[in-house]
Parts: sequence; structure tokens; C-alpha cells
Amino acid sequence: MRKEATKFGFLLPGLLYLMAMAVFPLIWSLTLSFHRWKAATAAPRVFVGIENFLNIFSRDPRFWNSLRFTVLYVAIVVSVELSLGLLLAYILNERIRFRNFFRVLFLLPMAAPPIAVAFMWRMLLNPDAGIVVKILNSMGLNMVRWLTDARLTPFVLMAVDIWEWTPFMFLGLLAAMQSFPVSLYDAAQVDGASRLQIFWFVTFPLLLPIMVTLVLLRAIDAFKLFELVFGITGGGPGTSTESLSYYTYTVGFQYFDLGYACALSWVFLVIVLIMANFLLKRLRKEV
Amino acid sequence: MKKGRITGFSVFAWVVLILFSVWTVFPFFWGAITSFKSPGEQYTTTFLPLVQFRPSTYAWQVVLGQAEGERTRQGLRNSILISSLSSLLVLLLGSLAGYALTRFRFHRWKNKDIASWILSNRMFPPIAVAIPFFLIMRTLKLLDTLPAVIMAHTVYNLPLAIWLMMDFFRELPEEVEEAALIDGCSSFQAFFRIALPLSLPGIVAVYILCFIFSWNEFLFVVTLSYRKTMTMPVIIAGTLTVRGLDFWKVSALSLLAITPPVVLAALTSRFLIRGLTLGAIKE
Repeated sequence: MRKEATKFGFLLPGLLYLMAMAVFPLIWSLTLSFHRWKAATAAPRVFVGIENFLNIFSRDPRFWNSLRFTVLYVAIVVSVELSLGLLLAYILNERIRFRNFFRVLFLLPMAAPPIAVAFMWRMLLNPDAGIVVKILNSMGLNMVRWLTDARLTPFVLMAVDIWEWTPFMFLGLLAAMQSFPVSLYDAAQVDGASRLQIFWFVTFPLLLPIMVTLVLLRAIDAFKLFELVFGITGGGPGTSTESLSYYTYTVGFQYFDLGYACALSWVFLVIVLIMANFLLKRLRKEV
Repeated sequence: MKKGRITGFSVFAWVVLILFSVWTVFPFFWGAITSFKSPGEQYTTTFLPLVQFRPSTYAWQVVLGQAEGERTRQGLRNSILISSLSSLLVLLLGSLAGYALTRFRFHRWKNKDIASWILSNRMFPPIAVAIPFFLIMRTLKLLDTLPAVIMAHTVYNLPLAIWLMMDFFRELPEEVEEAALIDGCSSFQAFFRIALPLSLPGIVAVYILCFIFSWNEFLFVVTLSYRKTMTMPVIIAGTLTVRGLDFWKVSALSLLAITPPVVLAALTSRFLIRGLTLGAIKE
């Protein structure tokens, strides 16, 4: 039996660091959220109780707009990425040549800095000179204003997200498929099942648990959408692509309305932690 | 599918794979060739260097030469320093805590509760801590310094590192360390001399992963630094001016920022997905 003091010697440095740099900042932010503190003006910090939260829920259309955009964004990108990822994983799970080459190739978008991804796409989608816009124009879509029509821009951002994160679903699902025993498929094949039957009745049920985990992971991550908005649209046109992260950032670091920004970030935090709770239950390790 | 036989499925598979490869690679390819176009040609739709346009090193001369070279080099230096030092700190704190949670039993709070709580720190939105971070660093007079960004990136990567290190230590047979303890080693000696060297491959993988995440991180850097400690992602964001975007410049800078993490990820491809799924998928 090892000594009691030793085990805390191992655990405490990391734990204390998290306390100081994660728990303490969040608690501070919670206390600030009950204050009115517009740091851009000389007005002092005053305690206002739950005023900020009342304002968020009852008279801040911009908050509701950003929440609606973010939820729609997450719902669409996660479903498209899951479907495309499933298709690709299914294809590469067959004995296809160059499988490892493709595995590495498809991983590149996720490894690149998101802000660089955003600026590359900003260039590709530039209304006057972007190559993607020019190609689409030559296909007869020259009346479509991709980055200036508020009805379309959200979907342009989603397309970039799908470019960046479909590989995540695909590589996760492929890794899971590869861990299934081959004997399973053989048995189904002997019984005369067709390719689609095998997928639907054997592979899919086995994949379901990992699919739920991947969807939760991706949804939580997509919910924090910031860089693509910052780099491609700046929240515009109007506020049509303003995500929760970006709106909170704008209030905090452009308007310096710090009390209100902290209140916003706590509403945001609670939403994310509810989702995270489901995920943590699935990831929980028996130690 | 039998090898070499052409079936309807294999044709379909290859069509999908090739389309998806083009879609994946095209933005990188376009960025790479645009960085070799002169400002006069930056908006042209020519694809093939040498054949359709004459490659120009103008962008690279601006970005690395007299005009803006100092800024770019500073950005690269900051990126390298912040990523490597914060990952080192993460590894030190993370391997100790990960070891504690696999080798010792905690009672008041059970090990798995502590572990879950640690991982939950990975999930909250960075913007939620960015505002208090900014205020803390302002109070400590640390705004626009390397320690501020390093501290932020450390707390950002630490939960994941602890979580992944737990897997490595669990896979390690406990007997060797127990034998060393009986021979009179202290727990810390057993950790530093035996457990740590034996889990070296895992440690290197976690280090590379944290390096990539730190290199790519944008929000903390943009809120904590404004001049001296800008990293490559923030320098890229700074190319946006009122006049619009200089394609050649943003391409060259993006290429500089993209290459290191992408090369590292390609080298550790199997581990990246394990890290991104928080260890839910082990290859």
C-alpha cells in the first residue's frame, strides 16, 4: 500500500492548475454576470442582480438570433457530416487500394488551423475573384450572391464546416468498423445476405453506440463555432451568421460590456454543459 | 470484393473517393499556387504553374523579406514557443495526474468522478473563460506576454492530456513498478524512472497532439495579445484590411501556418482521431 500523501503529490499539481485557471475564472465570470460593467465608459461596476439575465431572455433579439443560427448550424452540419462520413467509411472499409493514403489525406482539413481554413475559403468565395464563385458562375449561378445574401450565407458557412469536419465522422466510423470481427460478415454472407442487408442489419446496429458518441462530440464542438464566422463573414450580412461564441465575443471585446458578456457566456456554458453531461456519461471510464 | 475484379460497387467507390479527394485537396492546392502568383495575377483563374502562369516569389519576398519578414518570423517564433512550452507544461502536470488516477485509489471523490470532472473542463466554450482570463492577465500586467498565452493553452489542453495519459498508464503492467517499490524506490522514482520511460510513445503522441491544438488555437491569442505575442493564426487574421484581402499574402501566410500541424498530424494520423474523439476510439 502506498502512502496517502504521495498520491496527492501526483494529483494536486494538475488539479490545482485547473482550479486556478478554469474554476476560478468561471466563478469570477459568474459574479461579474450580476454586475453592470461597461468598461469602455468611465461608469463604475454596479451590482444589478439578475438584470443581465432578464435582458438576455426578454429583450435581446440578437441573442435569440445567434442561438437560433447556432442550433440550426449544428443540426445541419452534424447530420450532413454523419451521412457523408458513413458513406465514406463504408467505402473505405472494403478492401480498397491506397486505404492508408486516403486516411491521411482526409485528415488534413481538421489538422489545419481553423482560422487559416476560414481565410482560405474567404479567398475561394470572394464575390469578385474567388475561384469557387467563378466556377459556380460559369455553371449559370451568376445571380447568386453567396456572401452578401443573408438567406444564403449561413449555408455557405455550413459548407465550409462540412469540408473541415466530415473527415472526423468518417475516420471515427472507419476506425470503429475496422474493429468489428470479420467472422460476423462472413456468417451473414454465407446466409446469403446482400451487401445492403449486411450493412443495415449487421454493421449499422454495431455502429450505433459510437455514432451517438461521435455526434455528441461534434455537436458540442460545432456549438462553439467561432473561427469560421470571424474569418469568413464577421457575423454578417447583418447578424445572419452570428454564432453564440461570436456574439459573446463581440459584446465582450468590441463593446466591452463585460457584465453582459459574462452573463451571455454563462447561458452559453449551461447549454454546452447539458450536452456535455450526456457525452461524459458515455465516455466515463471505469478506473 | 475480390482483388482486381471490377464491380459496380468498386466503380461507385472510386468515383466517390476521387470526388471527395478533389474537394478536400482543392483549397490547399489553390492556396499553394496563389502564394506563387504575383499581385497582378492573384485574381486569375489559371491552375498550372509554368504552363499557365509564371511562378513569382513576390509573396514570399514580402512575407519573409525586408517588408514584413520581421513580423512573420516573430509570429513563427511565438507559435513555436507557445506550442512547445505549453505542451511541455501540459505533459508534466498531465502525466502526474493521469498516473495518480490510474495507480492510486481516491476515496472522498472516486477516481472516475475526478476524471469525469477533469474532462468536463475540456468541453466548456473557450469564450466563457476568455473574458475572465483577459481581466486576470490585465491585473497581473501579463497582457501581450508569452506566459499569459502559455497559461491559457495549458489549461485548454490539460484535461485531454490527463484523460489520454490514463489510458497509457492503465495499459502498462503494474508489476515492474511494484518490484521497484519493494526494492526501495519511492513512488516518484518509480514514476519517473519506470512508468514514464515505458509509456514514452504515448507521451510523444500526446505532446504532438497538444502542440497541434495549441498551434491552431485562435480565440485565446486574439484576446490576450495585440502586438508582441501574436501567433501565426492571429497574423493571418490581421491581413484583412479595409481594402480587402491580398490573396497572395494570405495564401503565403496560411501555408506557413498550415504546414507544421498538418505534417505532424499526417505523421501521427492514427493518434489524431483518438485525441479528437477524447479517447472514445482507439486505433
